[in-house]
Amino acid sequence: MFKKGVLRELFDSLFGKSWPMWVGGILLAMMNILLFVIKYPWGSSSGYTNIGQNIFQIIGVTSLGTKVPISLHAVALLNIFVVVGAFVSSLFSREFGIRISPVGELVKGFVGGALMAIGATVGAGCTTGGFFTGLAALSAGALTLAAGFMIGTFVALRYLLWEMEALPNISMGKSFIFLTGTGKKTGWQRWLGWLMIALVLFLFNTYTASSSGAMKIIGWHIMIGLILGMILQRSRYCIVRAFREPFMTGEATAPVAVMLSILVALVGFTVIKYFGVGNAGEFAARAIEMKGVYANFWLRALIGGFIFGLGMTVAGGCAVGTLWRAGEGHVKLWFAALGFVIMAPLSKGFIVPAVKKLLPESMQKQMFLPDILGYTGAVVLVLFILLLWYMFAKWNEKTGKFSAL
Amino acid sequence: MEVKKKEKIMQADQNLDCKGLSCPMPIIKLAKTMKKMASGEVLEMLGTDPGSKADVPAWCEKTGNVFLEHSEEGGTHTFYIKKK
Repeated sequence: MFKKGVLRELFDSLFGKSWPMWVGGILLAMMNILLFVIKYPWGSSSGYTNIGQNIFQIIGVTSLGTKVPISLHAVALLNIFVVVGAFVSSLFSREFGIRISPVGELVKGFVGGALMAIGATVGAGCTTGGFFTGLAALSAGALTLAAGFMIGTFVALRYLLWEMEALPNISMGKSFIFLTGTGKKTGWQRWLGWLMIALVLFLFNTYTASSSGAMKIIGWHIMIGLILGMILQRSRYCIVRAFREPFMTGEATAPVAVMLSILVALVGFTVIKYFGVGNAGEFAARAIEMKGVYANFWLRALIGGFIFGLGMTVAGGCAVGTLWRAGEGHVKLWFAALGFVIMAPLSKGFIVPAVKKLLPESMQKQMFLPDILGYTGAVVLVLFILLLWYMFAKWNEKTGKFSAL
Repeated sequence: MEVKKKEKIMQADQNLDCKGLSCPMPIIKLAKTMKKMASGEVLEMLGTDPGSKADVPAWCEKTGNVFLEHSEEGGTHTFYIKKK
């Protein structure tokens, strides 16, 4: 496509081989800081919910629908363009391919996605908005959410190991793969990638040309979505692995990458919150401080996290992991996205109100750690927890005490 | 075409088909299959998840099994692993 030269060299260094996951972690944290400055720090599940509500609206179930179309919902568009970014980057790196797994796996994808939808709506946050963003935003709920993820992942991994012994047929059967980047006549794939980038630039330009500030913000979400998707696909950044690997192979690569992204985001978020940086006309300083802090401490987040942990492990990708793998062509994750999208409005309409009514106020508090510990205390606490997690992951990597494989 | 030649030389005692499967299924299946093999035997594993390129060698290194060979054609990866 290019003559061998400096440009080709640059292209190959970006798309020739995968980036280390920790590189992705740092870059994602920087993008998350940018999203915070633009409007809200990174989240994903509310975008799924909006897409699902639009589907219900179209099919006439207005009680579960919404008046906000996808084209005006920043997070829904962010999700969609994460898929596009991963699609582009997998085309460039010749890793794209439509991979249809055996039927049993597709069902697991759908069920996993539906469980994630319940978990994310009940727990008020997914691995990205609730945990990665939440912990960096000094939200107390992020801690119990993480505990929930850990328990849920552990249980679901036990299930997968059991399934392999007792019901091996689920993951066996006919599989298909189409349009791979390394077969014959694949030059068009990279051109398609460039075409998609041109399309995103066009949309970005359309939104940002508007005189409305809200439209400009949406335009930037489209652009950042594309970048996030590319970073995610190149580094194969995966929060499921951060929770699962210690119990599976014992490798500490993914946990360390996720810790690093939380660490970088923590610095950026704390500065933003401390000084009230951002769109101050729209948000009062207190509102900026409370961004990324959800009313889920402690039991609400623990329950939601547990259900989400089950779902993400069965599906093989969290909310964001599902998006970039869908862009790479894994049909199982298309089903996970579908399950998520359909279940999220249902859960929001029926399950969440019941949970909210059932739980006492003290178990679903919106708690900002600096309100109790001060900024210094809160940051030290989060650093201490990251350090403990690091020690555990590294110790387990050596000893394999908790690993099943 | 060097890869192809090697492929033919490589003799596998066991085969494992993970085509179409995505993370974490290939690694779980790999671990399960290797458990049942005798020391010195060679496994041929097929897969279509790009993640396996890094995951399979990493798992081998972690568990002490010998990663022999990797090749790819039309999106299907072939791995050869020798049980320690």
